[in-house]
Amino acid sequence: MILLNGKEFAFVPGQTILELAQANGIEIPTLCHDERIEPYGACGLCVCEVRMGQAPARLMRACATKTADGMVIETQSARVERSRRFVLDMLLSDHTGDCIAPCSLACPGGTDCQKYAALIACGEYRKAAETMKDVIPIPASIGRICPHPCEKKCRRALVEAPVSLAALKAFGADMDLKENPFVPECKPDTGKRVAVIGGGPAGLTAAYHLRRRGHEVHIYDKMPKLGGMLRYGIPEYRLPKAVLDKEIALIGDIGVQMHPNTTLGTDVTLENLREGFDAVVVATGAWISSKMRVQGEDLDGVFGGIDFLRAAALGDPPAIGKTVAVCGGGNTAMDACRTAVRLGAETVYVIYRRTRDEMPAEQLEIEEAIEEGVQFKFLTNPDEICGDDRVSSIRLQCMQLGAPDASGRRRPEPIEGRFETLPVDSVIMAIGQKTDFAGLESLEATNRGTVNADTATFKTNLDGVFAVGDVTNKGADIAIAAIGEARKAADVIDAYLDGVEIAYEKPFVCEKTVTADDLADREKRDRAVMPVLPPEERKHTFAEMALGFDEETAKKEASRCLECGCLDYAQCKLIRYARQYKADPAPYAGEKSARQKDDSHAVILRDGAKCILCGLCVRACDQLEHLSAIGLAGRGFTTEVGAAYRLPLGTSCCNGCGKCVEVCPTGALYKKTEGCKNVAVDRK
Amino acid sequence: MDDTNKLQALRAVLDTYRDVPGSLITVLQKAQGIYGYLPQDVLETVAAELDIPSARVFGVATFYTQFRFQPVGKYFIELCKGTACHVNGADTIARTITETLGIADGETTADGLFSLKCVACLGCCSLSPVMMINGETYGSLTPAKVRDVLAQKRKEAQADA
Amino acid sequence: MLKIMVGQGSCGVSAGAGKVYDALQSAVEERKIDASLSVTGCIGMCFLEPIVDIYTDDRLTRLVRVQPKDVPAIADYLQTGDDASVASLKIAAQDSAFLEKQTRIALRNCGVIDPESLADAVAHRGYDALRKAVTEMTPEQVIDVIKVSGLAGRGGAGFPTWFKWNAARQSEGSPKYLICNADEGDPGAFMDRAVIEGDPHALIEGMLIGAYAIGADEAIVYVRAEYPLAIKRLEKAIADAKAAGYIGEHIFGTDFSCGFRIKAGAGAFVCGEETALIESLEGQRGMPRLKPPFPAQSGYWHKPSNINNVETFANVAWIINNGGEAFAAMGTDDSKGTKVFALTGKIKRGGLVEIPMGKTLRDVVFDIGGGMRADKAFKGVQLGGPSGGCVPSELIDTVIDYKKLSATGAIMGSGGMVIMDESTCMVRMAKFFLEFTTKESCGKCVACRIGTKRLLEILTRICDGDGREGDIELLEDLCARIKENALCGLGQTAPNPVLTTIRYFRDEYEAHIRDKRCPAGECTALVRFSIDPDKCRGCSLCSRKCPVGAISGDVGKPFTIDGEACIRCGQCAEVCKFGAVRKG
Repeated sequence: MILLNGKEFAFVPGQTILELAQANGIEIPTLCHDERIEPYGACGLCVCEVRMGQAPARLMRACATKTADGMVIETQSARVERSRRFVLDMLLSDHTGDCIAPCSLACPGGTDCQKYAALIACGEYRKAAETMKDVIPIPASIGRICPHPCEKKCRRALVEAPVSLAALKAFGADMDLKENPFVPECKPDTGKRVAVIGGGPAGLTAAYHLRRRGHEVHIYDKMPKLGGMLRYGIPEYRLPKAVLDKEIALIGDIGVQMHPNTTLGTDVTLENLREGFDAVVVATGAWISSKMRVQGEDLDGVFGGIDFLRAAALGDPPAIGKTVAVCGGGNTAMDACRTAVRLGAETVYVIYRRTRDEMPAEQLEIEEAIEEGVQFKFLTNPDEICGDDRVSSIRLQCMQLGAPDASGRRRPEPIEGRFETLPVDSVIMAIGQKTDFAGLESLEATNRGTVNADTATFKTNLDGVFAVGDVTNKGADIAIAAIGEARKAADVIDAYLDGVEIAYEKPFVCEKTVTADDLADREKRDRAVMPVLPPEERKHTFAEMALGFDEETAKKEASRCLECGCLDYAQCKLIRYARQYKADPAPYAGEKSARQKDDSHAVILRDGAKCILCGLCVRACDQLEHLSAIGLAGRGFTTEVGAAYRLPLGTSCCNGCGKCVEVCPTGALYKKTEGCKNVAVDRK
Repeated sequence: MDDTNKLQALRAVLDTYRDVPGSLITVLQKAQGIYGYLPQDVLETVAAELDIPSARVFGVATFYTQFRFQPVGKYFIELCKGTACHVNGADTIARTITETLGIADGETTADGLFSLKCVACLGCCSLSPVMMINGETYGSLTPAKVRDVLAQKRKEAQADA
Repeated sequence: MLKIMVGQGSCGVSAGAGKVYDALQSAVEERKIDASLSVTGCIGMCFLEPIVDIYTDDRLTRLVRVQPKDVPAIADYLQTGDDASVASLKIAAQDSAFLEKQTRIALRNCGVIDPESLADAVAHRGYDALRKAVTEMTPEQVIDVIKVSGLAGRGGAGFPTWFKWNAARQSEGSPKYLICNADEGDPGAFMDRAVIEGDPHALIEGMLIGAYAIGADEAIVYVRAEYPLAIKRLEKAIADAKAAGYIGEHIFGTDFSCGFRIKAGAGAFVCGEETALIESLEGQRGMPRLKPPFPAQSGYWHKPSNINNVETFANVAWIINNGGEAFAAMGTDDSKGTKVFALTGKIKRGGLVEIPMGKTLRDVVFDIGGGMRADKAFKGVQLGGPSGGCVPSELIDTVIDYKKLSATGAIMGSGGMVIMDESTCMVRMAKFFLEFTTKESCGKCVACRIGTKRLLEILTRICDGDGREGDIELLEDLCARIKENALCGLGQTAPNPVLTTIRYFRDEYEAHIRDKRCPAGECTALVRFSIDPDKCRGCSLCSRKCPVGAISGDVGKPFTIDGEACIRCGQCAEVCKFGAVRKG
């Protein structure tokens, strides 16, 4: 008999500790062992504490140690875990790669941009949409309006320009929407009920993911239709509401129940929702236009930016006259000025206190606004809005840039005594948004006047009430940030409904630094330009300005992706164990091996930088395929795996059987996707 | 020896060891004895003749420090990095050689005159620090002595040429 | 008749013994001196090489540090018998003590016989023990005698030799192999080389007795390729022994037959690990195998194999000749017999030392070795090379015995004994060994491949003045993890030099990390050079040698060093004739 983790087990003679454990459902981690191949003992991850007789317990490799009568084995003691963590720390300290592509890491939602780009390049639009919808339930809408932080981190920029990931997202999602769109499967009903207050990006996302997990979900929204700021803050020419309607309808199709025209505090209260549901998600957004606190702000003809956009979206725009001043430098200001143009204003000014370089709005938006005739008054700040009852002019304080402030932008300072006055018919104040706390009074507020929610658990001060999106903490942000939060919150709430308390934890990932020099060998390929309506035409219509990519352009554009993220991430044992054992290589940071990528072979892609020298590939090639096309070369820290004479694998006798890929525990070996862009492997 | 003679000598070695299992290292040693180093085509011949996959032959050859894949200079300096030499200042000697010749461990001067290899203990610990040039030992080295020896070798080479 | 023997171990040859031999040969021929001239191995007094021994009947005149220019004087002496001409060459009394204080068993014939002469070996009882074993004893009786002797593996681990022999004997399978590990890789150890170069027949005989005991069909010596002279002499000895019938079929007319061959290693310290050695013997990369199975069950070609090192085998014939009890009479309860050490470093009289177990480190360092060179302060002894540790001066009275040495954190090891004085930086010493182990790591297991690399990086940054608070603890933790997780002995023991230096010289680590100071003055990045104005004569030599022009002054007056510009190359200190350049 053997005492394994305190329980007695019978063993078969010749059986290793690893085999005994596996046979009894006890997992022992290993990176260098495969049952078809002789034990090797390189990784040392499978060590267990083994005691025989009176001798002190020793750490032994489970893959190679044969069981013997009277053995006492511990597979998970503190000593064992410490040793395993050490092995993982060491391996990670010599592991170079990106588990996840920088675009995906930059996306607040963690959307797998690389994968959907690859799938689009392969013409697999439905799968691309499925990938997007792992995070974003409304990708066709988000693809159109997202300021795409992903593209800002795209490494293709080091070659020439980033991949058009947002436009590709819209393209892929549109293609899927054309017919028989992807609808996710939902888990069997759990009997738990969740109320979501607010049907914007955050609320829709939380609802979608909670429904997929089998919960009954109801969304309550005060507006006539769902979509939140996407519908009432984003102008039609950027996001046609027909697209949003289709995507929201699909969320309804999986069983999310929607209750529009239902105002919190009047039609429903937080208290009765708490009573009627197992959990409540507050996602009411930030719907109040911030004031500037300048004189004349209360005059007729002065509008809040989002108020103005909402009225326009509802088809009831206010009279703005022929000359309009829009104050602010963000995307809402751009939406407002361009909507004003489309509503017939002849002269539209944008008043911004710094210069174009400091503007938070997207550069492309600024450019398009200029094309549409908008005049930018940089280095000016509203000093007073003048008029008797109604606006007649706006007096601007002229500014100059001083020293950089906390955000790194140069601080605007007034130039004493210099003013400029513009005659205007109306003023739109697009300088920020605030939370409407009506109906949320029982929730704890932050000093910004938002709902105080834990950033890892999304909990509020009330049990069972969670809050996500613009309504919380720092307030308004971009849609994908709200979606990302809601996506994470869904996991936490799902666990909560199951009686388990968890918190979102940023998972450990390996990242590497890449410079333009590293990519100097890449062929330059221009970024696809989104075709748009000509300025003269679009100034007079709310029809969608962007015409979308055609299929050929989209595929070509998607194929520009450099495939930075590990193609085998989903199946990588190294990262799985690293997280399980809470590995942290940081204290041991040092030189990394110089092993390189080898893309010379028709079907096998090797990335030496990710190799952990477990030797499985070499042994599989020898013992399973009897070929030995690859071997170990050198020794010690600089050992490497490869074909003879360090020649490219493509020139070796490798027959591409793929057995090495099968056994590789990391992303160091990958079998290429034939005739198409490489698509990351799915989790088995 | 010209190339034909070398190949003949290699063939003779292969004939001797072809049927002796486990002889790869011995064959590689003898091949290096013939060629001065192990060029790729020689490794390829060994692999083919002994019926061992090339990747494995290369793996064995690159595991052992004795094997070289580049020809060495006229003067092959083996600098002892044993413990006794370390204690008695081998680091300074290494620095002196590197500064004088402009080559680091494992490198050969551009004129092909000198190669430097740091080795683990030559076993002449009582003479430490020690270096060996083409098998001849120079002990109780000081930076000045090293500079002298190297200058003398350079002169010798000039005289030969 | 006069007999002249010139010590030609590698040390002697390095010191010029070959040229001395040639000169003596010419002189003997020219002057028609009636003397036999031969070569002998290393007597162990490497610090006195080249050594020329002249026997007149039984009287020995030992001449030391002989150079070719001394040969005419020696020839005069040989012709006249008047030793006045060689008075200056005669060994000094205190140097003779070096040998007199030793007890030589493994080295019994080293420096005494001509290693290239089988007759000489036989004249010194060579192959008597083999004859006795195979003709008068059963293999079990041989193993019994070894058991009684208490002989333990001299390679470092100190495992009882009889136990391994017995395991291999009991193990089923055929053929069986007896292997000698002569891959002496410890940088700073040359005991095995000296034995093979000085008395190859002792090794062959010991191995044949072992082969007889375990029932081996073939004996193989795995020897470092870096030992060409040892290989040459061993090859000749094997050929002579074969010709004389000591090797081959029906040895001494018995049923015992045994083949014998040499396999040259190709440069990999890890091949000292027995399973790696076996891989290498089989023509593979020398990467350790998993144990169990142990070589006694499944070794070379997966057949029962026994591996011992050179010194172990060199004791065997003596034990058979003199009985296990005689051997066991020497030493301590735990450790029997003698042990050979290679005494090097900052010691006055360095060389090979064989002493009975139970003597103290002080006996070796001060009585035999004569203490520190230049009379500097003794700091410690490094034992066991990269697998061993540093024993500090306060433990100088530690008894030489497997257990007692292990208790200090060091190990007996194979016999490398490197003496360090106050000018040796202990952090650098640890770094030196880790440089060695990272270079020699086979790369198979993670703990050794990456772990030792990280240790080295941390030690390097400490020596470079970039040590961080917490580095000592980080080192200690890494060491513990590596020891526990490494696959083979190399990795498991690689942290020892770090652990022992931290244990005994923690203040030196702290000085490097906290004060950015190297107390021994060895770490150039932490050294500050200055000129002592009292000693400086203002000769300007240092200023002219300084490669960066950091030294200035007026001739005749004390010079000064600009600390900012100084690159700490140390050339000023090297050239100063007045010792005026201070390091600190």
